[in-house]
Amino acid sequence: MISFILRRLGVMALTAACLTFVVFFLTNLSPLLTNLAKTQADMRMSDAQVERWLGNRGYDRNIFVKYGEWVGVVPGYVIEGADGVIRARCQMPGQAIEDIAKYCGVLQGYWGRSTRFQEGVGDIIQTRLGLTGILMFWVMIVMVPAALILGVLAGMRESSKLDRSLSTFAIGTTATPEYVSGVILIALFASTATGLKWFKGTATSAMENPTFENFFLPVITIALYGTGYIARMTRASMAEVMTTQYIRTARLKGVAFHSIVIGHALRNALIAPFTVIMLQFPWLLNGVVIVEKIFNYKGVGWALVEAASNNDIELLLGISVVGVVLVLLTQLISDIGYVYLNPRISVS
Amino acid sequence: MSDKSKWRVHHPAAEMYAREHKQGQLSRREFLARATSLGIGATAAYGLIGLHAPAVRADGHGKMKGGTIRVQMSVRELKDTRTYDWSELGNETRGNLEYLVEYNNDGSFRPMLLDSWQINDDATVYTLNVRKGVKWDNGDPLTAQHIAFNIERWCEKDAEGNSMAGRMGTLIDESTQRVKAGVIKVMDDYTLMLELPDPDISLIAGFSDYPAAIVHPSYNPSDTMNAIGTGPYKLVQLDVGVKAVLERKPNHDWWGTAVYGGPHLDRIEYIDYGTEPSGWLAAFESEEIDMVHESVGEFIDVFDGLDLKKSEIVTMGTIVIRPNQLAEVEGRRPYADKRVRQALQMAVDNSVLLELGYGNRGSVAENHHIGPIHPEYAPLPKQVVDKKKAMELMQEAGMAGFEHEIMSIDDDWRRNTTDAAAAQLREAGFKVKRTVLPGSTFWNDWTKYPFSSTNWNGRPLGVQIWALAYRSGEAWNEFGWSNAEFDSLLKDALSIADADKRREIAAKGEALIQDEGVTIQPYWRSLYRHTTDKVVDAPMHVSFEHHHYKWGVTS
Amino acid sequence: MEPLSWIEIIGRILVQLAPVWISLAVIFACSIRFKRRLGLYGRIFDSRIGMIGFGIVMFWTLTGFFSSAFDMIATHDPLAQFSGMKNKLPGTPLNNAEAGEYAYFLLGGDNLARDVFSRVIHGSGVVVLIAPLATVFAFLAGITLGLPAGYYGRRLDTGISFVANLILAFPVILLFYLLVNPGIRQTGVPQYMSMFLFAFPIVFAAVLIQSRYHTDPVKRNLLMFSSLAILGYAYINVINTPGTAISFLNAIDIFDPDPGILNVFVSVVFVNAPTVFRIVRGLVMDIKTRDYVAAAQTRGEGSWYIMLWEILPNARGPLIVDFCLRIGYTTILLGTLGFFGLGLSPEDPNWGATINDGRKLISIYPHPALPPAISLLSLVLGLNLLADGLREESLKD
Repeated sequence: MISFILRRLGVMALTAACLTFVVFFLTNLSPLLTNLAKTQADMRMSDAQVERWLGNRGYDRNIFVKYGEWVGVVPGYVIEGADGVIRARCQMPGQAIEDIAKYCGVLQGYWGRSTRFQEGVGDIIQTRLGLTGILMFWVMIVMVPAALILGVLAGMRESSKLDRSLSTFAIGTTATPEYVSGVILIALFASTATGLKWFKGTATSAMENPTFENFFLPVITIALYGTGYIARMTRASMAEVMTTQYIRTARLKGVAFHSIVIGHALRNALIAPFTVIMLQFPWLLNGVVIVEKIFNYKGVGWALVEAASNNDIELLLGISVVGVVLVLLTQLISDIGYVYLNPRISVS
Repeated sequence: MSDKSKWRVHHPAAEMYAREHKQGQLSRREFLARATSLGIGATAAYGLIGLHAPAVRADGHGKMKGGTIRVQMSVRELKDTRTYDWSELGNETRGNLEYLVEYNNDGSFRPMLLDSWQINDDATVYTLNVRKGVKWDNGDPLTAQHIAFNIERWCEKDAEGNSMAGRMGTLIDESTQRVKAGVIKVMDDYTLMLELPDPDISLIAGFSDYPAAIVHPSYNPSDTMNAIGTGPYKLVQLDVGVKAVLERKPNHDWWGTAVYGGPHLDRIEYIDYGTEPSGWLAAFESEEIDMVHESVGEFIDVFDGLDLKKSEIVTMGTIVIRPNQLAEVEGRRPYADKRVRQALQMAVDNSVLLELGYGNRGSVAENHHIGPIHPEYAPLPKQVVDKKKAMELMQEAGMAGFEHEIMSIDDDWRRNTTDAAAAQLREAGFKVKRTVLPGSTFWNDWTKYPFSSTNWNGRPLGVQIWALAYRSGEAWNEFGWSNAEFDSLLKDALSIADADKRREIAAKGEALIQDEGVTIQPYWRSLYRHTTDKVVDAPMHVSFEHHHYKWGVTS
Repeated sequence: MEPLSWIEIIGRILVQLAPVWISLAVIFACSIRFKRRLGLYGRIFDSRIGMIGFGIVMFWTLTGFFSSAFDMIATHDPLAQFSGMKNKLPGTPLNNAEAGEYAYFLLGGDNLARDVFSRVIHGSGVVVLIAPLATVFAFLAGITLGLPAGYYGRRLDTGISFVANLILAFPVILLFYLLVNPGIRQTGVPQYMSMFLFAFPIVFAAVLIQSRYHTDPVKRNLLMFSSLAILGYAYINVINTPGTAISFLNAIDIFDPDPGILNVFVSVVFVNAPTVFRIVRGLVMDIKTRDYVAAAQTRGEGSWYIMLWEILPNARGPLIVDFCLRIGYTTILLGTLGFFGLGLSPEDPNWGATINDGRKLISIYPHPALPPAISLLSLVLGLNLLADGLREESLKD
């Protein structure tokens, strides 16, 4: 088991290395560097000015050297620019140029500096991931039980009236994009249009102090969208299990229906939804973007959009690493969960 | 006439403007803009035309001492002040880093860190009198040397992204990329002379622009947030994209209290609610803000429906939807042909663009980028929209089957206006494809797109924009237009301080731009702002400036 | 002219849709009449739920077909703007309709004074064509990789999962920004990606035919040759565009897809394939422990035969459900892409983009956003009911 986990950690490091290099390569393509220079310095800069700006900051060098600097195996650049200013990668704000470190990269624990936010990447990710984490936590608390209950109730007696109405509800929620449901919810429950004003139509204040009033709408918007999908998968899986031989046998033996559902069917029926739920975590990381935007909640999805639209290279790399860890961790959990739920599969 | 001695000597041109105003040739606003930019105080300028200046509201009247205003505004990262490219940046630091002069909605220039200024007849010698009694927040007094330091800084043309260099063009020596020797003369601690090699009528207007913030000689461009400033507020918090907070400096004696009154507020919070106005609406409804930076599009009507105060201002800001004459599409230059450009212009009804693109909130323009508020504006005969003739022209040019791809940025009004233009062209029978680019990538090649739309902010003088964007070979000439006749007309116009004489030349330039079909320039925008009832004296500003010291909340 | 009342509006819409009603009636009459001879398709008509689902899906398919192929049903050009009709309510008459022009905006005007009804109708054409096709591509990629990964496990699984995880962890939003950047398009990155992604259907077809008919070389060769020729030709046409990074086969290149549509396909496959892969892989890992798989292995069947003809059919339940839901997600993704200025032309009337445009003003003008939203909802609902019906009927064996 220990070697299994160690191996997975090794894979994780390798994935992170590959992914960051791919992201690094793409963000260092020359059109995107131009984009970076223009958003940083002046939108209406000339081509010659762009080149000088990039040269002054070492962006025009070999990509492997630049990537090596980020990892921390190549010494950080010290460049005297065309404008006479000396710039150094490892110069922290307020530090004199003489006493800077030689190496500064991930291996030294330095995640770089965001060009968009003028702040350390580590700090940004910590703050923003924390905010999204709170949002995700509440979404999961609402979504998972609701979806499982819906799915099991619908799937245990397939094509009954209960099944049809629950399924229709589930499909309905999942066929309504977040950018519609969120806005409709705001219009209904948080505006003078209806006069209800039960909740707040913005979650900005929730970043400092989440309350039921300012956090309910974003949570329910994401949860509604995700619930339908998990519920449908649970229902399909449950329906499948209910037709299997051993359930039929149990029913013929006269075991009570509810104890069949809970005692026999549930465990097997949860394998497929379990994968799906685990897949929801990486999805949430990207999927929260729209809700964060509508409700103006500044989590990691928002930071990602800001980073991508401003080609903030080091912040994108940092967020990519977070993505890798999240994807592989959920996969690890889902693999271990498989073994637990289905004894016929073994870990190795 | 004013009682202050320094205003006794009037600029000869100012008296001429006053006569023109009395004869009805000049609106009051135009008169004020021109007179005050010549160094006449607003009170004196009103006096010249026989009026009393509107009474400045007595200090504290209706305003509570202290209080907080929360403003929706996008919070951007600070950089070197002279490289500012968004008015929001100026607003973040304006409470701390002040300006020499302040441009006001009535078109006048109010002296701030300057006490007054004089300009000689041919606009080559500027005398700047620095205000006495102004203190930096570290205790140093503000002197003429500090102002000279700032002007020198603006003239460093090779500094990255320094947009002040463009405004200070006449002061710069092209070979050294620095200020020309002998241009700036410090006469004493409070007097400064600028001796220009060529006339420049736009220098004072340049001083009021948002990159022209005055900084202390110890200024460190990478730490603008904690810069030493003269203003009454300090930027205490700045989370890019999230929030910025200005707080009253506790132990700072601000010069303006004695001169203009204020500041009234203790604290100003800028909260970033993203780019979507629906988020601003939610913020108003949740009572999380008291004011928006700018109300846009349909949301002006929506905000009107809430219990909010609206302020409105007419500007010379606009949009151009232009073909680029140099751009190549599939191996040829479709827009090098004058007939093609004329056909495009002829097919588009500008009033429809104003209706569908901007909700009729503005006035129709005439495709030559000089408008009624500009002093040199000359009305021309109305252009005719004729879709049939447009198609005939296009056929004549052999381009009837060509598919025009029109690019625009992805935002509400610019996108809608461009969509409306596309529909107009389709109605004439042209093939049109629309492409929308996100704001982050749109500006990468904005001058080079074959056919695209660009927004332009208003400037006090019409010829300023022509010089920036319509002259041959200019960096911002997105039309790819080069015309020797126009260049010489413009050169003449730029050296004439008298607006009437300039108008004669401008009329020729206007006609030339129209006839060449350089661009579709459909309308002039009005700008709006909504605030809650408690906010006092924070109306929309013509160039989006926030004058914090005037703001207050009702008691 | 007076605005129309709600009853008149509904009546007129029903009349406009007449071609669809007639075709639906014909299809249903024929299908029910001959349902015993039509195999699984015929059995849809044994299940009430399947029939309802089929009806809704066919409704939109026919609407899309009639509107885009024959320009019927819609009352106006979906891109035309009518002065004075901005944000007007449903049933508003046109200002001064010319002869031959439909005199009303049945469902009102949108923010750019275009007819909402015509846009919804024309949008259906885009949706019923692009969304299922793009989803099929994602599934083919996910299945082609998920089957061997789950079945063989070990190194192969580690290798493919590695790549899938790489894609899953890739910040999708960065991809959107990359695809939309004109400079990046010139470097050919989107084209290389589509070159890779569009290869999966060919691989899948080849493996499918080989595993089934390898005992019958004549039939195999015939099928293999014909399908590879067709798919290969389509493949070359799609990826090869003169004047771009990939333009070496211009001689046989007869059509070029719109770069916007190509972007949509690339994004949809990129976003969905790894998820489908993981679902398939999980299902295979579960199913391969079943007795019938062991039986097939004992019979000496080839691995690919077992994967494609034993395991895959038994995994169809969750996969069909997922497929139907994913078509809905793809439609929504079209709107999300619009959110980032990517995808189809910005004026395109596809539902996702229309909803996204209309939502901004939903609190004051709900009528431009609600019709496409309700249409999308009904289509996804129809697809799922149809899937339920299909699955239930097919499980009855």
